[in-house]
Amino acid sequence: MNFELRRKPEWLETMFPWRQRAIAVNGRRMAYIDEGAGRPVLLLSGNPTWGFLYRDFITPLVESGYRAIAPDWIGAGYSDHPREDSALTFAHHIADLVSLMDQLDIRGFVIVGQDWGGPQGVGAALQRVERLDALVLMNTWLFTGMVSKFHASPRPWTTWHAPLIGQFFMKRHKALSHHGPSATTVRGMSEEEARAYHHIFDEKDSDHGVLTWPRTIPVLEGDRGWADMKAIENRLPELVDLPTLLMWAPGDEVFPIEFANRLKELLPKAEGPITFDRARHFLQDDRGADIARAMVDFLNRTVGAKL
Amino acid sequence: MKFITPTAEELSFLRPDPLLWEQELDARPEVAEAIEQATATPAGSVYWRSTHDHLYSLELMDSGRGRPSMARVFGYWDRYEPRPVEHEIDADLMEFLIWVAQTSPGIDSVDVLKVAQFAGINISWPEGAVLRTPEERFSNIPGFDYEPRYTEVEGLRMAYVEQGEGDPVLMLHGEPTWGYLYRKMIEPLSSAGRVVVPDLIGFGRSDKPAAANAYSYKSHVRWVRRFIEAMDLKNITLVCQDWGGMIGLRALAEMPERFSRLVATNTGIADGRGSTEAFRRWRRFSQRVEMLDVPLLMRNTLKRKTITDAELQAYAAPFPAKEYQTAALAFPRLVPTRLDHAGAYDNRSAIEKLRTLDLPVFLPWADGDPITAPAEKFLRSIFKNCAPQATIKDAGHFIQEDAGEELARAILEWMAKS
Repeated sequence: MNFELRRKPEWLETMFPWRQRAIAVNGRRMAYIDEGAGRPVLLLSGNPTWGFLYRDFITPLVESGYRAIAPDWIGAGYSDHPREDSALTFAHHIADLVSLMDQLDIRGFVIVGQDWGGPQGVGAALQRVERLDALVLMNTWLFTGMVSKFHASPRPWTTWHAPLIGQFFMKRHKALSHHGPSATTVRGMSEEEARAYHHIFDEKDSDHGVLTWPRTIPVLEGDRGWADMKAIENRLPELVDLPTLLMWAPGDEVFPIEFANRLKELLPKAEGPITFDRARHFLQDDRGADIARAMVDFLNRTVGAKL
Repeated sequence: MKFITPTAEELSFLRPDPLLWEQELDARPEVAEAIEQATATPAGSVYWRSTHDHLYSLELMDSGRGRPSMARVFGYWDRYEPRPVEHEIDADLMEFLIWVAQTSPGIDSVDVLKVAQFAGINISWPEGAVLRTPEERFSNIPGFDYEPRYTEVEGLRMAYVEQGEGDPVLMLHGEPTWGYLYRKMIEPLSSAGRVVVPDLIGFGRSDKPAAANAYSYKSHVRWVRRFIEAMDLKNITLVCQDWGGMIGLRALAEMPERFSRLVATNTGIADGRGSTEAFRRWRRFSQRVEMLDVPLLMRNTLKRKTITDAELQAYAAPFPAKEYQTAALAFPRLVPTRLDHAGAYDNRSAIEKLRTLDLPVFLPWADGDPITAPAEKFLRSIFKNCAPQATIKDAGHFIQEDAGEELARAILEWMAKS
């Protein structure tokens, strides 16, 4: 396999200076950054973002003695973007992360997940559950049976990714990939920051993952993604005693605070939810430094940086 | 190529992975027609198992012409696990392409092979992918003077020792040992037949693929089956412990015609319905260490503390460094303890097959092995023709090390009767 990743443009360097590494997972190239030594912390983003979303987390983690690993899911960021819906299923994403975990041979790791980073990260960690030491969840979900107004609403969500209609808006016109965090930013991100999220999908027809993810959200039994989410939900009792922190932006319409409360019911020993105002769905971008500080504090108090 | 219909249950535990992208068949309608005839489907999926036992499907779509007009191919992997090594998939796809060529008018399979050569398709272990423990690591092994022999399975060197003549007595070791574990039993049992003691792939003197995804439950079973075929062993008396049984019982279910007797001790066939607390403790420990200290592990597990330091060190011989332990470190997590665990479905199917066999079964069990204690009863419930219960006292999980001579004697007595 050719391991040349797409070159990071120069204008990105100052905002995201870390080396992009590449590894083959399930026959595709996965890009990831891997900085520092100590307890591995996997920083997992969702749709339509990439490792850039965690740029405020890397330095605080590394300075506190942790190893920050931020992979881009296949179909996202600097990883391969297969032009095939069936290569981007929930199960594929899980198996891809398991492959990364195995190849880096990491133990005692922490899963940090927001949006799809939550279920995909926990789904992978459950395959190597003896090696999982702590969990940090932000504006995400690990269960079926609760659908936010946003995910049920025709404007824009269900229309956005409806059959054929979704292909027009999401792929031909990049309705989500060029309007993700930049469209919901509370602090008002710069043009350059917006560009960092968008340029990933500049290439024509590179937005398969962006469209496949919404279609995978399990709303009804039998939906694509339902069985996998159910499998995760059924195994959550195994994680009850794990140090877990919930951090939440109640201002997010995608995963409002009810989702945090439901996670708290399923993982009753979890700390939080610590809430962050002035933030919406992409809270790591809106309040990155504050959230990173709360997370490092939690990790220091519970599992610590040393293995 | 034999097409099959997998159960919906099996498919639910697998992940379809697109391998050959969707392509119109219109350019060669005669090929589409030949495939339609051979698969007996104008539309839908047909499935087959490759020589690597992986499931694949050819999906044929009919866009209204009344014959297949589009096609693509999927591989099916353990749902949440990394897929197997790439050359295995290429070998399987080549097998399929040869079938397509043989089925289709105007395409010659020889040409397919030539193109594969031209394109540099690799269907064997790439350089550096397989480690081999240096022979000098085995230069001071006490009590194991058998000359190592080798046979090849799927491009890997598989080591074994043998002694005696007649019908084979195949003895399979488990985690994290090697044929050495049976050293006290080889001599006595060689009076009853040809004792053959292989080292599993990843263990002992056998080759050790370096990548974690080289090792699955399925691949271990396949390698042992290939070993049995390569050696052409028939009328086998299988003696197995720990993973030797997990693998051996699957081989028995898959090629029962080659076996005539079974001796299973301190082992089982996990069907995904739970596990013992002792096993879960071991699994957690094993998944968190950088490298297993095998001599220490043996010393702590043995009930009779008569083993010498040199003998303990012999168990570490195959593992000069962490990279050589990939197989040993993978084994604990490959034990299917949940219904959806990779291998659990295959084991449940194998158990159904084992229930139908009436070969004589002997289940000598140690009195001090908390990990496999409940499995004795389970095996007893599976096999029809079990000898009465036989407990070996003052022995632990590694019963061959604690009580090898006793165990060999008990097996010989039973063999004489059965």
